[in-house]
Amino acid sequence: MRPFTYSRADTPAAAVQAAVAGGAATRYLAGGTTLYDLMKLDIETPRHVIDVTGLSELAAIDTSGSSEMTFGALARMSDVAADRRLVAEYPALSESLWRAASQQLRNMATVAGNLLQRTRCAYFRGGEPFACNKRKPGSGCAAQDGIDRGHALLGGSKSCIAVYPGDWPVALVAFDAAIDVLGPGGQRTIAVEELHREPGTTPEIETTLQPGELILRIRVPVTSMGFKSTYHKIRDRESYAFALASAAVALDLDGDVVRAARIALGGLATRPWRARKAEQLLAGRRLTTEAARAAGDAALEGATRGHDNGFRIELGVRTVADALMIASQRGQP
Amino acid sequence: MTDMAFPDTPRIDALDKVRGAAIFGADDARPALLHAALTVATIAKGRITDLDIGAAQSVPGVQLVLTHQTIGDVKSAGFIMGGGYGFQSFQPMLSPTIAYRGQPIALVAAESIEAAIEAAALVKATYAPEPFSVSLDAAGTETVNQADTPLSNFIPEIDTGDADAAYDAAAFKIDAVFTCPPQHQNPIELIATVAEWSAGKLTVHEGTQNAEAIRHGLAKALGLPPEQVEVISPFAGGGFGQKNSLQMQTVLAAVAARLLGRPVKLVVPRAQVFHDASFRPASRHRIRLGADRSGRMVAAIHEVDAQTSRHDLFPGEYTATSSRLHGIANFRGHERLVRTDVQTPGYMRAPFEHPACFAMECCVDELAYAAGQDPVALRLANDTESDPATKLPFSSRHVAECLRRGAALFGWSKRSMAPQSMRAADGSHIGWGVALGAYPGIIVPTVAKLVVSADGEVRLSIGGHEMGQGIRTALANAVSRKLGVSPDRVVTVIGDTRVAPQHLTAGSWGTASAVPTANYAADAMLRALSELAPGGISNRTPAQILKDAGRPSLEVEVQKKAPGQPDQIFDRLRAGLPAIGGPVYQDHVTFSFIAHFIEVRVEPSTRRIRVPRVVSVVDCGRVISPRTAASQVRGGVVWGIGATLREASEVDPRYGGFLNADLAEYVLPVNADIGSIEVAFIDKPDLAFNNAGVKGLGEVSMTGVAPAIANAVFHATGRRLRQLPIRIEHLL
Repeated sequence: MRPFTYSRADTPAAAVQAAVAGGAATRYLAGGTTLYDLMKLDIETPRHVIDVTGLSELAAIDTSGSSEMTFGALARMSDVAADRRLVAEYPALSESLWRAASQQLRNMATVAGNLLQRTRCAYFRGGEPFACNKRKPGSGCAAQDGIDRGHALLGGSKSCIAVYPGDWPVALVAFDAAIDVLGPGGQRTIAVEELHREPGTTPEIETTLQPGELILRIRVPVTSMGFKSTYHKIRDRESYAFALASAAVALDLDGDVVRAARIALGGLATRPWRARKAEQLLAGRRLTTEAARAAGDAALEGATRGHDNGFRIELGVRTVADALMIASQRGQP
Repeated sequence: MTDMAFPDTPRIDALDKVRGAAIFGADDARPALLHAALTVATIAKGRITDLDIGAAQSVPGVQLVLTHQTIGDVKSAGFIMGGGYGFQSFQPMLSPTIAYRGQPIALVAAESIEAAIEAAALVKATYAPEPFSVSLDAAGTETVNQADTPLSNFIPEIDTGDADAAYDAAAFKIDAVFTCPPQHQNPIELIATVAEWSAGKLTVHEGTQNAEAIRHGLAKALGLPPEQVEVISPFAGGGFGQKNSLQMQTVLAAVAARLLGRPVKLVVPRAQVFHDASFRPASRHRIRLGADRSGRMVAAIHEVDAQTSRHDLFPGEYTATSSRLHGIANFRGHERLVRTDVQTPGYMRAPFEHPACFAMECCVDELAYAAGQDPVALRLANDTESDPATKLPFSSRHVAECLRRGAALFGWSKRSMAPQSMRAADGSHIGWGVALGAYPGIIVPTVAKLVVSADGEVRLSIGGHEMGQGIRTALANAVSRKLGVSPDRVVTVIGDTRVAPQHLTAGSWGTASAVPTANYAADAMLRALSELAPGGISNRTPAQILKDAGRPSLEVEVQKKAPGQPDQIFDRLRAGLPAIGGPVYQDHVTFSFIAHFIEVRVEPSTRRIRVPRVVSVVDCGRVISPRTAASQVRGGVVWGIGATLREASEVDPRYGGFLNADLAEYVLPVNADIGSIEVAFIDKPDLAFNNAGVKGLGEVSMTGVAPAIANAVFHATGRRLRQLPIRIEHLL
């Protein structure tokens, strides 16, 4: 850990101003569950840390709206997970939070900070001596010929196959959520699906956020598709583990015929991965186990296997198929 | 007395532990304490050619940057299994040599932990790297026949009858290879030391299983008389074998404290513990098991390749247990050690017995299917009263009763034999598996001092360490029963070199060694009390007798050793050296045994394996502390579930060291992974073994879990999986 300066922001605008003044080596501090962890590993080495936890106007949860629900950036994962409307009408959103991390971490971590959680790739987190283009651009990617059991099958590049580890953003992507961000040039709105970048040749640039931009809130459009939804997460143990494969799924059914489906994958790609082709494949079809399997196949289309992670293609297919059947069993209002 | 079961009493230090009142090594916060951090090697083998400590030294608050260039006259304390005291013979920072990635190359001591960590990261090494090998099959390893080494003097190979001929002639033959990955003990309490010098005398506070080895090891390393070193370790926050000897960084902390004239605390972070302390070595097992047409096992050949380091031979004792599970007249064991560029591996709960039982008991299950016999019935038919390896009788062996009682508790009779024949309502495949486990019965010499005071306090100072297993409670239960006082009046001082020699507490011998000695001390005390009471003790408490006799206190000191050990064994005890007796004694052989019955459910699609139900029946002699004993067995079963389905230390052959060196990525079981664990004890005293009738428990509880799960997975899926851990990818 390196020395850093610390300040508290009184308003979002002041936070942005301080971040711009601090330059590239500045980090916002919310729950701290990722930042502190990586600072202790000497992977994050900020010179300035701006504590935004005092911005209470960013902590509100409002699920009463008729067109959208909003989650303040600083709302705690555990509070959002327990929101009654989410539990009853958007189980995929609630489950994506419940099935992430541990209760202690969910009590600390914020829903916006969770969007920016960084990869668990051991070669990234391990520091020296491992080559990592994300940590040290141009140094190479040790994972390419290394232990890649947990690495990405979708969206990777020669520079990086680090998996995006989060759960909640995967569910948000399935529900067409967006975020409001405040930057030096003012406020703008970004689809969560547009927030994370594939690594390409610049894996060190992980999001489309501009320097100094601060997430203010997450907005989820209201939809009746939430009722028949689930976040299905397969992992190496029953709790406190990152996904080997996960699927956020929501369905609009007419009897057993699919009017519309939303499918997003977690744990398999370099970013939250919306599977639109699989969604289109299901539209207008009866939801049988065969159709669900075909949707899974479509969702994993283009998956590239490495040394140890090939099994997660089939696992991903089955996870999607199971998620569709679980969602279809869920009740209507 | 020994014919009576002990009552279920609470853990004696439970309240202190939940209140945080129990003080562990790293809790120490004495005045003037300096904090230390380590810089570790980033190459897997080679030499330091340059070490730049300038930036580290200029961090405000830094008092010392210690390197091989400045450490002064320090020696290796030697390897605990080679006549020394350390977990390995290689003491880092005595030379520029790098033997493995993660090896300490510098220690920084500073006024704050933050400054120490910052400065440690600023030490920059330049290396001349050399080729290295870190896995069993890598090029450049060196394989050694254990029988050709001096280790064979105290670990002879098991070779009875003519195993090869009997196997060749057998009607049923099973020939299979099993692999077990490296694993790490990961006690929650990290490796941590507080070292303080006062008037030329060194005092160390550290959670350990072997205070005496730390004392004598430090004395040897630093060139001091052992009387100048004391080690205080009232609690260890889990040891599991990792804390069974001198840690390399304890020496470094002691050197730093001496140079600075101030106490130094060094807490090794988790990622470094993966590299700076011992681990369970990778091992590979080929078993050939032969039986006659009736299913009678007639021959077994167990060949082992186990990982060791380049600088030490960590002895393998796998076949000592696999040869004792069943009455197999012809048995040949062969153990080889494979030298790799790692820190020396060591003892991790049931170090040999877990892998050995996995390999052997999976083969026995395969045999049951080959012979078309129920796996419980086959084991009952192959039970033995005498030890097949030595022909001596077992001092006690209740394997058949473990199997019968376990089968009844589990409902084994409802099992259908065919694989994939049992399904749950949700479509999951149900598998029921059984396996035996065993662990050697060992006793070590122990010294005890017992003081009874007129105010009612009973103070027992004795050799032993509390690693969470509950030895304090067992000792209090035993002494309080003998003396007729309440267990909460017994103050037990253990893990403290100032009060009694502290032999290594490991190998499940802690209770079997300390409790009989405590009993012996209590008997001596009763005799001494009766001399104070010529008219007889009648119903008086010891305190009342003392008061009536006008004596403030009474003290006795006793010592006890394993049957057949020479009197000189106490010299080894006092020298901090292993002084292990058993499991083969003059007229008997002692092992603890266990039978596990395990249900798994394998999800039909994504193939997750769940373990909803375990029944474990244990033959560990007399149970002295039923509550902590049952807790120990449940803990052992959880370890077994982890070892079978979760844990593996990942090795990248390009980098050496271990990759998943944290508790998020080294996958241990969590509460949600664990279902019902029902524990039952045979609870019959083994009085041929010791006066308390107690055999070992901590490690036998884990043995046999892995094969019971693997056999259950076979029953559920029809797949024989012989590589641990068993994970989703093996069943998709």
